Amino acid sequence: MRYLYALLLCASFVAPVYAKQPAYTVRSTEIKQQPFSDAATVATLSEKASVNILSRQGGWVRITSESGNGWVKMLSLRSDNTAAKQGDTGLQSLLNVGRSGSSGITVATGVRGLSEEDLKNAHPNPREFEKLQNYAVSKAKAEKFARNAKLKTQLLDYLPLDSKS
Amino acid sequence: MFIRALLFSGLCLLFSFPAHAFDFDLQKVLSIAKKTQQATKTIDEPEEIEIGNGIAANLLGASSLLDDSRAQQYVNQVGRWLSLQTERPDLPWKFGILESTDINAFSIPGGTIFITHGLLQKLNNESELAGVLAHEIVHVLRKHHLAALQKGARMDIASDLAGEALKNKGDPAVLDKAIKAGTEVYARGLDKNDEFEADRMGIVIATRAGYDPYGLPAVLQMLEASNAQDSSLALMFKTHPAPRERLSLLDKIMSDGFDAYTAPAQTDKRFNSEVSQRK
Repeated sequence: MRYLYALLLCASFVAPVYAKQPAYTVRSTEIKQQPFSDAATVATLSEKASVNILSRQGGWVRITSESGNGWVKMLSLRSDNTAAKQGDTGLQSLLNVGRSGSSGITVATGVRGLSEEDLKNAHPNPREFEKLQNYAVSKAKAEKFARNAKLKTQLLDYLPLDSKS
Repeated sequence: MFIRALLFSGLCLLFSFPAHAFDFDLQKVLSIAKKTQQATKTIDEPEEIEIGNGIAANLLGASSLLDDSRAQQYVNQVGRWLSLQTERPDLPWKFGILESTDINAFSIPGGTIFITHGLLQKLNNESELAGVLAHEIVHVLRKHHLAALQKGARMDIASDLAGEALKNKGDPAVLDKAIKAGTEVYARGLDKNDEFEADRMGIVIATRAGYDPYGLPAVLQMLEASNAQDSSLALMFKTHPAPRERLSLLDKIMSDGFDAYTAPAQTDKRFNSEVSQRK
């Protein structure tokens, strides 16, 4: 039990916390005790089983479910956003004039500056462009940046479609 | 330099539309069409960069850069490091955080990448940032926007412009309109398959750079969980395939082998100090 607490404590510092994101399985999926394929299996979830995502570590997410708690492969899950579909949390909704017909084009004016209309009406800003150029970094600086965090390059080819099968 | 970029993008747009879109003197049309074929075939790298600079300046007219040079430098270093793992490491890559609270990212020909402050704030670590930037980098590598510009889907605007330009060659107002048409590609979005390709190649570039390959899928899962009706996501959702569809395609190609790659813990610390704690 103490071990479990330690693990939870660790996870809460290292992994992003999802505040119980609801999701469901897209295939029958094993719940593992650890985030590894060869870890012990806690239970097997059927397809379309509901789970709550707590955190992520690489390709694995820690979940709670009626069948048990543990780790499942992230890509076996899809988020359930029915809970999120309640109203617009964005500030701009207040300024929206509405949506025009079936095109779903948002007619908006105002603060964000990146609506479709804003893009269409934009005028060049040479001053900001100059700032952008000044922020650019050299190859050598990028390499040093990678070394500082011990990032190591990996040899890997691009993936063809359906490379897994 | 800047004016040249404008001029070039204007001309490029102008000359990249099929002859039947123009409804004036046939001889003129034919001579433009000939020039078009030559012009579009010979967009070399310096020209691509010039076009891109014009469009980048225009996008910066819609949203300024976030006034935080430390965060800007940080994003540039992540992005530049990613670019070194690609087949176009020598482009003048530049990365910018737009101050917009919208959730979006943009890729511009010649190696300019923008991420909005709104999206940056939603990310949890450097691998997720790398996933987003790598996806955008692929659009540059594969010249997706350049192709979309050359295809010139906005025929209506183009034909108007062509008419005006013929009467009034070199008029800056006309060229300004032309570059607006270029920026419209960003309001319209790319072909779905370009987006899927950017996901598929982006995860490989992030992995090559030493990051957790699941950074991009994690961002897609975050987007999938978001309220699709939220106005801060409107343009991103309009111009991209549904996150669910993108995840399903990544699910098909990401074998268990990807589990072996993990990002060093230092990158998490760095992300926290350069981004998370500065929100």
